[in-house]
Amino acid sequence: MDCEKILNLFRSELVVVNVGPKLFAEALEKQGYRTVQVDWKPIAGGDREMQAILDVLGGLD
Amino acid sequence: MEVFVKIERGRYVDSLETLLASSVLNEQPGIEMGCAGMATDPGKDVLESVGLLTEELKACDGSCYIIAARAESQEAFDKAVAEVEASLVPVSEDEAEQPSYPTIKAAAEGCPKANLCSIAVPGEYALGEVKKALNAGLHCVVFSNNVPLSDEREMKELAWEKGLLCMGPDCGVANINGAALVLASINNRGPFGICGASGVGIQHVAAILHEAGTGVSQTIGTGGNDLKNEVGGLMMLMGIDALEADPETKYIALIARRIGDQVLPGLLERISKCRKPVVALFMSCDRATVEGAGAIWACDLDDCAQKCLALTGQTYRLDTDGEIAARAAQAVAKLAPEQKYVRGAFSGGTFLDEAMHALIPKVGEVYSNIALRPEWQLADSQVSVKNTCIDYGEEEFTLGRPHPAIDPGVRKPAIPREAADPETAVILLDFILTPPGHVDPAGYVLGDIRTAQEQARAAGRELIFVASVLGTDADLQNVSVQRQKLADAGVLVCKTNHQAALLAGEIIRQKKERDDHGL
Repeated sequence: MDCEKILNLFRSELVVVNVGPKLFAEALEKQGYRTVQVDWKPIAGGDREMQAILDVLGGLD
Repeated sequence: MEVFVKIERGRYVDSLETLLASSVLNEQPGIEMGCAGMATDPGKDVLESVGLLTEELKACDGSCYIIAARAESQEAFDKAVAEVEASLVPVSEDEAEQPSYPTIKAAAEGCPKANLCSIAVPGEYALGEVKKALNAGLHCVVFSNNVPLSDEREMKELAWEKGLLCMGPDCGVANINGAALVLASINNRGPFGICGASGVGIQHVAAILHEAGTGVSQTIGTGGNDLKNEVGGLMMLMGIDALEADPETKYIALIARRIGDQVLPGLLERISKCRKPVVALFMSCDRATVEGAGAIWACDLDDCAQKCLALTGQTYRLDTDGEIAARAAQAVAKLAPEQKYVRGAFSGGTFLDEAMHALIPKVGEVYSNIALRPEWQLADSQVSVKNTCIDYGEEEFTLGRPHPAIDPGVRKPAIPREAADPETAVILLDFILTPPGHVDPAGYVLGDIRTAQEQARAAGRELIFVASVLGTDADLQNVSVQRQKLADAGVLVCKTNHQAALLAGEIIRQKKERDDHGL
């Protein structure tokens, strides 16, 4: 397997996109790492029927 | 007691925060049972299972944040809700200034240096978010659990195709570029690369390497299901490729509990071709199989760390059998005639398994909620039988609450309950340190330990507490400080979980010998 992208990660400053509880981002920030937060919410407010429709339509992003 | 509810439509509180909110709610006076969370279908299932799903809550949808509790009065409920609100993570001024993004794609575009995405969303949503992250060029670490195996396979195939890491789902531990991700410990950097399907296993080996003065280049958690046939071990194979190619990694350690029969041959073949020394702890494989692939065989987690250290001419000092026996003899001398059993309360399955395997040769049958034999299965996890070890990370305890590594309150009732049993001789505990975890897990239980000891003494008994702490002195809680707090309270502290189980088992064995033969 081509490992170039993984080796790039190992050579780079770690910058984390955090999706979910802020607790994990805060734990990284306490260690001195940079994070950016995604304000994740279940699409369609967790409504499963609506999610199925959105899946068919290609989702929101 | 009556059920009271508070409903906030259109407010979203993330899953971990709602779990922590539930914990705070349940600790408030006048609250018999409470639950905070989004009114999703799984959320309503939890409410129903604890008898809190009122008609009003049934009518709510996933866009509603709800707090429900069986409370002695409206006033008690309102006070508890105020405490819950106060406990939610406040938005600091710094944080308020930092931009947050509505989607992963927007975050990756807004922050071009971002290179890894940490995903902890409910399992049913994980695949969608991981695909978005991989498509945005981000490596992933996925804490979400309860992800269907077909979803896991799909996300890992996409990661493979793109040459990106997909650590998890159900990945509890990873250390990338020195950062402790999800529930990992903070470790020194060093020449050992670890790839494993057991979070606690990785954390344990890395912590010993740290304490021995060396460290890890990277640790890659694959998630516990990676080596199942349905997933195919894709991340373990990628992890080996990456660690072999990484110039900072000189030695590779691999850790796995059960490996699918269709996955094992390919994995062994890959190991046989690896150009770097490999230490393998494959709990479901015999020694000849592992050595046949050219790897160095390890029999358990302590041994895995020792075999790694041996590659650099180092060792990690553990107590010998003789030292454990001598320590046990001192403890046995304090026990009253009726005290004869060990009661273990664990915060995760890996350490529970390890402890039970260490105990059985010394004490015989060990009852559990996750028993090693069907006949040792506890009928009721709240009622211990003879020698018993309980995993408090199991869903029966964590339904609607965070894992005990984050919220030690899950295990809190264990100490007074076991201590009240006059037949309890030893209470065996594990403690796991991690940046998002409790700030002082040892300190959290000291009061309970002291109370238990005082009550036992008043009844003419001496309780023996045996414990181990997993973590490093770089962890925010500092493993040395945590161990010292326990030792100061009279707890017999061991360097590893395995050694703690051996000591606990040896105390029970010697006590039985004394009772049987008057020795």
